[in-house]
Amino acid sequence: MSFSHRTIKAWAANFGALSFGLAVALISAATNASAQGDPVLGKDLTYTCSGCHGIEQYKNAYPQYNVPKISGQNYEYLVAALKGYKVDERAHPTMRAQAKSFSDADIENIAAYLSTATEAHK
Amino acid sequence: MRLVNRKRALSFVFATVFSSAAFSNETQATGAPADGAKLIETKACVACHGKDGNGVVLATGKTDPQYPILAGQYASYLEYSLKAYRSGTRKNVIMAGFAQQLTDAEIKALAHYLASQPSKLHTLKGIE
Repeated sequence: MSFSHRTIKAWAANFGALSFGLAVALISAATNASAQGDPVLGKDLTYTCSGCHGIEQYKNAYPQYNVPKISGQNYEYLVAALKGYKVDERAHPTMRAQAKSFSDADIENIAAYLSTATEAHK
Repeated sequence: MRLVNRKRALSFVFATVFSSAAFSNETQATGAPADGAKLIETKACVACHGKDGNGVVLATGKTDPQYPILAGQYASYLEYSLKAYRSGTRKNVIMAGFAQQLTDAEIKALAHYLASQPSKLHTLKGIE
């Protein structure tokens, strides 16, 4: 049994594509941890957030609880929480509406800004 | 890394389901007030959120960013969130497992303990 030149060529091409795909996957996995949104772009998007999250001790009405502090919170958690509101895995009408108005890139930019915002930020 | 953490957290869920159920009956029976500082360890919150709610430090020296900082958060919000995880209105398989092991009194105690811990969380400053 012998393999035609074409078959070998096809195998080589497939193997090449496979290893390229694998390399891309490995690189993206390795850089994933540091691939974050842009805090500068995110800052402008947080303008509406401060209407509730920018007031000390501000309270949600029903049920009553303080609107959480989100500045200084961890990046990945903020992304997960906002996407959670977007897909209705979290229940809050205003937050659902807000999250749905943002693209995934917007959410990553917002999280990048919030997670790096310090007390000194004005 | 994330998968490993999920697995670790899940194993904690299963490990604590029975032992913590026994523990909460015990505290209930003796009538002792729930102690947040103790609960954070006995309920295994510490595994992901750290002893003071500031999270766990990874081998890289950085705090694992997938878990929220709970230290310094408003107690009323922490209480609301734990009850939402417990009832399922907030969907998270891992947190549902933990929250379902907590009584209202234990949730309150944990929330107040965590809220009193220092952290870098703060109210969002408005944009000029």
